[in-house]
Amino acid sequence: MTNKDNLFTFADFDEKESERIAAPRYSYWKSVWRTFIHNKVTVTVCIIMLTVVIFSMIQPIFSKYDPMYAPNINDASMKFLKPSLQYPFGTDNIGRNLFDGVWAGAKNSLIIGFVCTFINMIIGIAVGALWGFSKSMDKWMIEVYNVVSNVPFLLIAMILSYVLGSGFKSLIFIMCVSNWIYVAYFIRTQVMIIRDREYNLASRCLGTSTWTMITKNILPFLISVIMTYVAREIPATISYEVFLSYLGLGLGQDNASLGRMISQYTTYMNAYPHLFWIPVSVLAIISVSLYIVGQALADASDPRTHM
Amino acid sequence: MEKGYYLKRIIRSIFSVLMVITIVFVLVYTLVPRDRIFFNDDTVVKLGGKPDERMAYKYKQWQRLGYLTYTNMNQYCTEVYTTGSSAHEACVLAGSKDEKAFVEKYEADGWYIDYLPASGSPIAYKERPIVSRITEWFKNLVVIDSVNAVQDENNPDLERKVYFGKTPTGGLALKCSGCTHKYQLYTDLSFPFIHQNWITLDLGTSYPTFNSLKVLDVISASQGQEDRVDTVFENGHTETSACKMTSLTYKYSLDKLDKNKFDDNYADCEINKKDPSMIGISFIMGVIALFLAYGIGLPAGLSMARHKGKLADKIGMVYIIFIISVPSLAYIYFFKYLGSTIFGLPNAFPTYGAADIRSWILPCISLSLPSIAGLMLWTRRYMVDQMNADYVKFAKAKGLNQSEIYRKHIFRNAIIPIAQGIPSSLAGCITGAIITEQVYSVGGMGKMLPDSINAYNNAMIIALAFLFTGISVIGVFLGDVIITWIDPRISLESKEDGR
Repeated sequence: MTNKDNLFTFADFDEKESERIAAPRYSYWKSVWRTFIHNKVTVTVCIIMLTVVIFSMIQPIFSKYDPMYAPNINDASMKFLKPSLQYPFGTDNIGRNLFDGVWAGAKNSLIIGFVCTFINMIIGIAVGALWGFSKSMDKWMIEVYNVVSNVPFLLIAMILSYVLGSGFKSLIFIMCVSNWIYVAYFIRTQVMIIRDREYNLASRCLGTSTWTMITKNILPFLISVIMTYVAREIPATISYEVFLSYLGLGLGQDNASLGRMISQYTTYMNAYPHLFWIPVSVLAIISVSLYIVGQALADASDPRTHM
Repeated sequence: MEKGYYLKRIIRSIFSVLMVITIVFVLVYTLVPRDRIFFNDDTVVKLGGKPDERMAYKYKQWQRLGYLTYTNMNQYCTEVYTTGSSAHEACVLAGSKDEKAFVEKYEADGWYIDYLPASGSPIAYKERPIVSRITEWFKNLVVIDSVNAVQDENNPDLERKVYFGKTPTGGLALKCSGCTHKYQLYTDLSFPFIHQNWITLDLGTSYPTFNSLKVLDVISASQGQEDRVDTVFENGHTETSACKMTSLTYKYSLDKLDKNKFDDNYADCEINKKDPSMIGISFIMGVIALFLAYGIGLPAGLSMARHKGKLADKIGMVYIIFIISVPSLAYIYFFKYLGSTIFGLPNAFPTYGAADIRSWILPCISLSLPSIAGLMLWTRRYMVDQMNADYVKFAKAKGLNQSEIYRKHIFRNAIIPIAQGIPSSLAGCITGAIITEQVYSVGGMGKMLPDSINAYNNAMIIALAFLFTGISVIGVFLGDVIITWIDPRISLESKEDGR
């Protein structure tokens, strides 16, 4: 009996302590970061990705690679060299250093992937949020979508590339001119799903403006979905650039491009396999790592995983 | 209710097809410089030394292709003077005094004037508005054959009648004399067994590639070597011929060979060839790939969902990530390399041709790879989403075993959004696959769009845009019909409430 009495003591009433809120401080982005670095695989892939990205941004500055410049074009001893210390990836059919070419191409692919995705996402989210929110806008936007999504994209791309000429800016324009509407359509569907939830109805009853509804109530809810889309969009854009270059569109002859490299070197796949497989592997490493990091970021940005 | 919806939906679909064609027309005919259509035209090269004739030829082609209407001194003089008169002869000569009147007359009407480079003789032309060209295109789209279709001055006594008869292979036929096609309706042993020539589509005439062939014939006629068989013609004449008898059409000027074989004027026929048509090859390939995709993708997605987080799921995810993130060009070459070095399969379609089954294996597999990944991903997603639903918990509580729940409850609900995509992907087969067909040099539809854009074959571009749009609109529509059919809870009509 006496023992039990000793186990408990009366606590003094502490006003300061009672005012403190029990839950730990929650910062959204800190939680995202914590969840993100929790996974060992994604951190490893992220390091690989960053290395490749930084290297492909810096290496071309020093190599000053120009696909039109081939000083060894008449020197047969310089062609089709196997990878060595001097030429880490060997040389190609006209004696250019493949190592420089691959990184210059990777740089262009990455820039196109990021810039186009950025532009498409910005326009797409802005239009899609309004589109999903307003039913009167939905009526005619859905018709616009039906029409635009039915024009073969290849047709638009090819005609525009003949009209604008090939090059960096026109390629980015081509990749953005109609693709934002797919993002907008995707966002529209997502917005429509959560638009009529109770908290939004309540918010509307309290007189919240459309702008605040979209930016404060709806878009934060969509961050993880948007990140998932971005994770898929960047490799898809890079992939599409490769496809266009394969068809002879895309970047012009004077810009290094992984896509054109791959399509040019396919003929040497059996005789000089390194010429084909090295650009393909670099491209695969870039897009796979981008995809995995993007997916991990999408998972981490979902508040439901912040436990 | 539903009927009204379908009607509205059809009207809207027609509207979108119309808009797409308009956009394509505008893109093709206003943005691409019109001189480029002659890049691949041999006639222009041949006329290189004769600048006047070359220019006249260009204007003639532009008029034929619908860019403009033009007129020259020849036509003007024939209008003003009687042919053969001395005034007419003086008028036609270069540098005549009538040229001034010609220029003044047409300039006043708002025509543009151009001068032939050598003789300096004027040409007047007027652009045709894009709207009138689009309406004309649609007006000519559907051709309905009739007894009065053939108007031949050299054959005034042509009998005009429709009658029953037999095809040379013994099928029943509804024949016609006076129509363009001899066989209007006939049966034979090839799918779909009943064929017709009564209503045909006219998608324009191809130029400059496949010059002056009908666009539809280019993509739907058989290819490769001629398929010659011993044929008995209707008048008893026998010879080895590749002529497809049921495709006979009216021929205006018969030669000696024709008269040998045919008693009437129906002497033009399609040539039977050994390989399937472009559409045919793409469609066969696409359908095989589709079967592969559903046959592998669905079960794989199912087992991924059942063993979520386990080894099967992880292997599946690796494959999906590989396909999604590696550019298709790279993995198509990768599988081609694997298939041709390890399994000794042909690495190009024409090596053994369409008749050999080995030619089809690699292209079909490479075509199905991305669809397998997509199906796996979405099947898994939908299954996993359904797994936490209340009805599943209820089924579990009732004591159903795992496989019964998966097969009879979850799968049936998860399959709905997947079933919606089936008509689209089936119809999409005929549009072909650009990269796969190029990598394996398959003579299918995939190469047609890029090729015709590169060759500035405008009629072909528009026809393909029309076909592809029509197919995709129909596919989406059928998909929606199918989901309401297999899941009665779904209603296509949205409830109206204003905002």
